[in-house]
Amino acid sequence: MAATTATRSSGRQESVEPLEGGVRAGSGAFADYGLEGRFFDELFGADGSLRPACRQLGEALGRVPPEELARIQESVLRRFLHEGITFTVLGKDEVSEQIIPIDCVPRIVTPAEWHEVEEGIRQRMRAINLFLRDIYHEGRSLRDGVVPAELVLGCPQYRVEMRDVRVSHDVYVAVGGTDVVRTDRGFAVLEDNVRVPSGVSYMLACRAATKRALPELYREHRVREVSEYPERLYSTLASLGSGDGSPRVAILTPGRYNSAYYEHAFLAGEMGVDLVEGRDLVMHNATVYARMADGLRRIDVIYRRIDDDYTDPVTFRENSVLGAAGLFHAYRAGNVVLANAPGTGVADDKSVYAFMPDIIRYFLHEEPILANVETHLCRDPDGLAFTLDNLPDLVVKEVGGSGGYGMLVGPESTVQERSAFAERLRADPDNFISQPVLPLSRAACFVDGGVQPRHVDLRPFTLHGSREQHVVPGGLCRVALSKGSLVVNSSQGGGCKDLWVLAA
Amino acid sequence: MLARTAADLYWMGRYLERTEQTALLLRHQLSGLPDTPAEELALGWRCIYRTLGQIAPDAPLDADEAEVFLVADAYTLAGPLIEDHTNPDSLISCWRMARENATQLRPQLPLDVWTTLNQGYLWLAECDFPRAWSAGPTGLASEAIARLRLLAGVVESSMARDDAWRFLELGRFVERLQHQTTLLSNWEKVGRRGAPGIQLQWADLLRVCAAYELYCRRRTMTVRGREAMDFMLHDPEAPRSLSFVVRSLEALLTGIDPLASRHPLAPPYRMVLRLAATLEADAGTPFEMDETGGEADRAEGELLRRLAADGAALHDLIISAYVAYPIAKGLPR
Repeated sequence: MAATTATRSSGRQESVEPLEGGVRAGSGAFADYGLEGRFFDELFGADGSLRPACRQLGEALGRVPPEELARIQESVLRRFLHEGITFTVLGKDEVSEQIIPIDCVPRIVTPAEWHEVEEGIRQRMRAINLFLRDIYHEGRSLRDGVVPAELVLGCPQYRVEMRDVRVSHDVYVAVGGTDVVRTDRGFAVLEDNVRVPSGVSYMLACRAATKRALPELYREHRVREVSEYPERLYSTLASLGSGDGSPRVAILTPGRYNSAYYEHAFLAGEMGVDLVEGRDLVMHNATVYARMADGLRRIDVIYRRIDDDYTDPVTFRENSVLGAAGLFHAYRAGNVVLANAPGTGVADDKSVYAFMPDIIRYFLHEEPILANVETHLCRDPDGLAFTLDNLPDLVVKEVGGSGGYGMLVGPESTVQERSAFAERLRADPDNFISQPVLPLSRAACFVDGGVQPRHVDLRPFTLHGSREQHVVPGGLCRVALSKGSLVVNSSQGGGCKDLWVLAA
Repeated sequence: MLARTAADLYWMGRYLERTEQTALLLRHQLSGLPDTPAEELALGWRCIYRTLGQIAPDAPLDADEAEVFLVADAYTLAGPLIEDHTNPDSLISCWRMARENATQLRPQLPLDVWTTLNQGYLWLAECDFPRAWSAGPTGLASEAIARLRLLAGVVESSMARDDAWRFLELGRFVERLQHQTTLLSNWEKVGRRGAPGIQLQWADLLRVCAAYELYCRRRTMTVRGREAMDFMLHDPEAPRSLSFVVRSLEALLTGIDPLASRHPLAPPYRMVLRLAATLEADAGTPFEMDETGGEADRAEGELLRRLAADGAALHDLIISAYVAYPIAKGLPR
């Protein structure tokens, strides 16, 4: 903020002196910033003083007039609008483009905190890849009872077509996006998104916007860069190719009406690869070709941003018009790499999630670095009984659900809603899990003309190539912008903000 | 480049050109509201609607009553061509379609190109047409032209001269070829249909085509009909002359489809060579200075009809050659 409030009469930016007396929650510019003991606050300690790593940020927020913050916020949003950084919303009668609400105040993570998150995610992704290889080949973990076999084999995301398929370098999950939350007990993993994780383009757009709006503050903080993500993604994908020469990589998108289309186009542009739709692909002799203006050209690696079900109408959902007929045949023949591999959804099924600590111990012989959230499987009679008895205090989710849809947030539900949901639980208990309502941490946001705390989570992205694994030092920090809300999904009114991982 | 991407670039170029053509016609017509005789305005509207392939609202195309095109109706007549989302040829529809194509092309387009196009669209989409009209009827068309030319400048300065640029320009020039042949034909045919002494001014045609100053420098300040027509057919440097358009198409197709790569020549390229030959054959034809029409008019009408037919065929050939070709033809040899 120092830069944007600086006077320019001398032709140079002038730095602003820190406020005297210190910045505290509940006073001055933070008069509306109420701390609540049950929520970890990312900016202030429990005593109301700024956390050491957040001092500069807090002091800057304290001295910038609200109208100046509003101007910064407005400029960031306008940039998103003009550059078309949007997500698509399919309505009943029309398609609309919406800007993802972005908050201009960054969230800061210290090197020590990030080390824990990074190592925890690395460990988890290694275990998930070993687990996936195992369940599609020998099945040792199922025989040894690490995860109930019926849970895995009955999972809708288990693809029997993947049995004994040779996956390039045994990398099933090349791109992961793990949802991490912080509570008063520390960091924990809420979900492992290993099918088609999205949001990385918003992470990069948030960074670019925040860097432009707060240049001096950014420089002062020695923030770790995330801009190399597209380059790393390309080299990750290329490393999974056949190895003879430089493989031709393409991104497979469902098309411009997909909610994440901006991201698909953005990544294709940044990586300099083709953004193909199913209709652009042609199969010939179990080989994938793209229809180019000057003829057909072979494709070696496909980063698919399309669910398993829609990838190939011959193998999966036969009425899909988004994929390409024969694509899976080419994949089985080893003539093309699909990233992520089909069938990875088993590993982020919410029932299987409950067993992730055991999976880590079994395959890596290590204790989990990041905790799981307490989870009750409604498929177990005890879990179902507990869930039904405690509905007002729990969050109940469908095991294959995402985006905040199809879930019950107990404390925010009515008696009628709980009653209806209980019926669904009894009718199909295998399809549900329940978790306690998590006291997500809160970060400073500019809302309603002032700085106030809002609940946040974090989605770091992992790349897993043939030889190396990389966790991006940053992530998509999602914000529940409504006061008191714990739902951070963009489809449910959530926004995002930049995450500054400080260099050691 | 993906065939679908080539098609999107091509269509984006076509829609952008179509938007600019419509805006140019509207700006000219609306700027004449204060002092142009009502009968001449009526001819102007009829020519615009015919050129854009539209049926004028509240008036059959062959209506003789000039009063249906009176100044008071300019608002009614301009509206469908500017803000009507249901009219596929309105400014807003064409701009939206160009943006739709550009949205699919984001990996190929420099960010500045996309942002400029998007900002222009958002400006027009949020524009309050009645209010803009009350501030001055020509303002909206003028602003649209300025924004489109800004975009053209950004394209010029930021896009590599690769196939992406060539397909974009190819679409622009195919659209220009088709539009200009229709405009020249209508200016002559419709323009003569007024009451005695009332006709569209040839100088105005040159102004619409951004060629008036060049014509005055090259030829004479006294604009004569057949000479103006000749100028718009054959001048090698006026950017909207058919000769210039065809030469541009030839250069673009040479770049897309190098002569060495295909034998025999690709069909679109052959068609452009034919268009060039047709124009060259006409270039030496002496023209009549008499403005009453006659044999020379008929010959010119025939020429424009042939050019229009070949222009339409050129579009089909481009799509067949680069987008919708049979798979067997595209397999690597």
